[in-house]
Amino acid sequence: MAGQNIERREILRILAVAAAAAGFPGFQKWAFAGAHSHSSLAQIKPTAYRPVFFREQEYALVERLTDIIIPSDETPGAREAGVSEFIDLMASRDTSLQNRFRAGLMWLNNHSRKRRGKLFLALAAEEQVALLEPLAYKAKYRAGEERGRDFFDLIREYTVMGFYTTEIGLKELDFPGLRFYSESPACPHQNDPEHRHLPSPNW
Amino acid sequence: MSAPERSRASPSSLAELVELMPHRIYDVIVIGTGAGGGMAIKTLCEAGLKVCALNSGRRLDPHKDFRSHRMPWDLKYRGFGDPQTHSASEPDFPGPSEYVHGAWETEHVHTTAPGTDWVWPRCSAVGGKTNFWGRSSAIFGDIDFRAASLDGYDVDWPVTYAEMAPYYRRVEQMVGVASTVQNRPSNPDGIYLPPMNFRCLDMILQKGAEKVGVPYLPDRISQLTVPLGTHPACHYCGNCTSGCDVGAFFSAPYFLLPAAEASGNLELRTNALARNIVVDESGQAQGVAYIDRQSRREFEVYGRAIVIAASCLETTRIMLNSKSRHWPTGIANSSGQLGRNLCDHLYGIAASGYLPQLVGQPSFPDNVSDSSIAWMPRWQNLLHPREEKFIRGYSVYPDGGCWEFPSYQDEIEGFGSSFKREIKRRYPAPISMMTQIPTLTSPQNFVDIDPQAVDSYGVPTLRVHFQWGANELAMWEHSKTMCGEVMRAAGGIVDFVADHPESPGYSQHEIGTCRMGNDPRKFVTNRFGQTHDVANLYVADASLFVNVTDKPPAFSILTFSLRTSEHIVQQFRDHTH
Repeated sequence: MAGQNIERREILRILAVAAAAAGFPGFQKWAFAGAHSHSSLAQIKPTAYRPVFFREQEYALVERLTDIIIPSDETPGAREAGVSEFIDLMASRDTSLQNRFRAGLMWLNNHSRKRRGKLFLALAAEEQVALLEPLAYKAKYRAGEERGRDFFDLIREYTVMGFYTTEIGLKELDFPGLRFYSESPACPHQNDPEHRHLPSPNW
Repeated sequence: MSAPERSRASPSSLAELVELMPHRIYDVIVIGTGAGGGMAIKTLCEAGLKVCALNSGRRLDPHKDFRSHRMPWDLKYRGFGDPQTHSASEPDFPGPSEYVHGAWETEHVHTTAPGTDWVWPRCSAVGGKTNFWGRSSAIFGDIDFRAASLDGYDVDWPVTYAEMAPYYRRVEQMVGVASTVQNRPSNPDGIYLPPMNFRCLDMILQKGAEKVGVPYLPDRISQLTVPLGTHPACHYCGNCTSGCDVGAFFSAPYFLLPAAEASGNLELRTNALARNIVVDESGQAQGVAYIDRQSRREFEVYGRAIVIAASCLETTRIMLNSKSRHWPTGIANSSGQLGRNLCDHLYGIAASGYLPQLVGQPSFPDNVSDSSIAWMPRWQNLLHPREEKFIRGYSVYPDGGCWEFPSYQDEIEGFGSSFKREIKRRYPAPISMMTQIPTLTSPQNFVDIDPQAVDSYGVPTLRVHFQWGANELAMWEHSKTMCGEVMRAAGGIVDFVADHPESPGYSQHEIGTCRMGNDPRKFVTNRFGQTHDVANLYVADASLFVNVTDKPPAFSILTFSLRTSEHIVQQFRDHTH
């Protein structure tokens, strides 16, 4: 059939495109996170990232927050995927986003100083989590922390955006798209249309 | 800004010298190269007529311009677009994206009347929106053509299904439509390629729909499940609406234009923005004035007949801007109906949530057509036209499963390993239901020329007057109830129901501003799309359509354009043109 040759040719072309695209300047971890089995990419050495928009202290805080939101556990998390670099890039292109991030980070540090007497990054990990929980769980919401909740929603949204658009993030989900199938994939449980008897969940 | 000067004053380039030479008169000028224009170009060229086609944008190179096979991390902004240029106020605005560069226009060439909200995505690339369309291809039946006779509202179409059926069959064979024979009263069946297979979520939702008494069936989709002629079968990568690099679904550049170019009868002028129709001393169409977007100079091109298929609203804008001594309110507008009767599809998420059955299951390639594999075709007002609290009916597109991005994250609380785990568990399970609700015509819904605004080329812009009406809003409420019932009957959890539908215009299915009908006092064109006032001016896009139905318009645009084009060929054979 005419379509049979597509696969190999396309895959080669995509690899070529991907290799070229990974060369965007300033994204050490992205290139790392998206590393294909391509020799030139394997040679890229991660070096300290220099933020474009955030100040060094702000950037360290952003990186820590992304790490708390999507941690490295059994699988890699936001830190390995370079999510803070993505957030820095997006913020660098949008002044309203800059203001929201900067004001939010400032709120969090003030809040931390007020409640715990230290900047957020100086707190122990469990103290950091304790400070964030009232911003993230409805049952734990506290009055007067509305701005903090808005900021937490914002940074969580950008962390999700930045994580699940890397190879690490999509591997975490076992993203099945952008592959090549010879026919349209069909439900493999034809004799269980209501899917009442599926094997127990994998995770 | 004033209109660009006529190029004729001081020739300084070859193109201008050519313009100074005795005018070439083509047989037909076609404005637009999408579904309507593309079909006209092919049909006319193959019949031996000399055609000059004007397209306002450039040609696309699928291998360069379509980035559909790129992973998000291979795009600088991961597919979200550059925040600096991406309009924050319209985050869901269909059109420009990192996956398709330079095919969609970014300038707004319309204004809105107070209280009107209208988005107008415009694709100017050769082939227009067929490059990126949703491919859903149900056809109109007598329940649509004769809707007014059934329920007493508005007017019937000047055609019947029996008359259109042979054209539908030919387009089905030309394009390739995957579906099944379904014997639904609102959906005439056609000739089909094997259907797309149902996924787990379809099997589950179909069972739920069965319990509620709602049909859940394979959609009619113009996507090749098997090779068709020289066109390869689909490889199911799932990024169709960013453009197909192998042409495995219908689009004008892959399916219509090559035959026209092979005939040797086509001259395609790109970056040629049609401004107005030029008329002769008797008020008949003589040619088209267009702006070359690169030089920003204006040219004219002449033809014995003109087909205008620039998409519903752009066609209307060109016609309204074609004012002359003969046509003081726009060409072919003696009825005063040009720009009236604007209709649209109300799109909205009537329900979304997830199927607990699929939580924690392995991921599955659910997104292989980038839109619906299934649909819930109109089931309301079938036995009697006034069974419901509204007239006519709507359809629903269900979808879900493993897509690229976990957009259901908003529905999951918290952070940390539990959050990360829940995102993964939910990945195969999300579902949502998008409505396709037709609006009724209303005297309040129309377009005219904004007397105070011009676009960056100096062309007066369109002003849109549009509000959702009571009938469509009653359907919207009904759809929210019904979609929720179907999801719950399937064992699903509904966790989101939209407060508001999408903005008007979002569907890109606007129709009706040059309606067809037999009475020249009430309609702009006759039953062949020929304007009543100007015998050599034809319309071949959705602006002709009399009502918007519950079906998408593109496939019917192709079909009506085929019929109109063959009518034009016959006029040439009879020496009428």
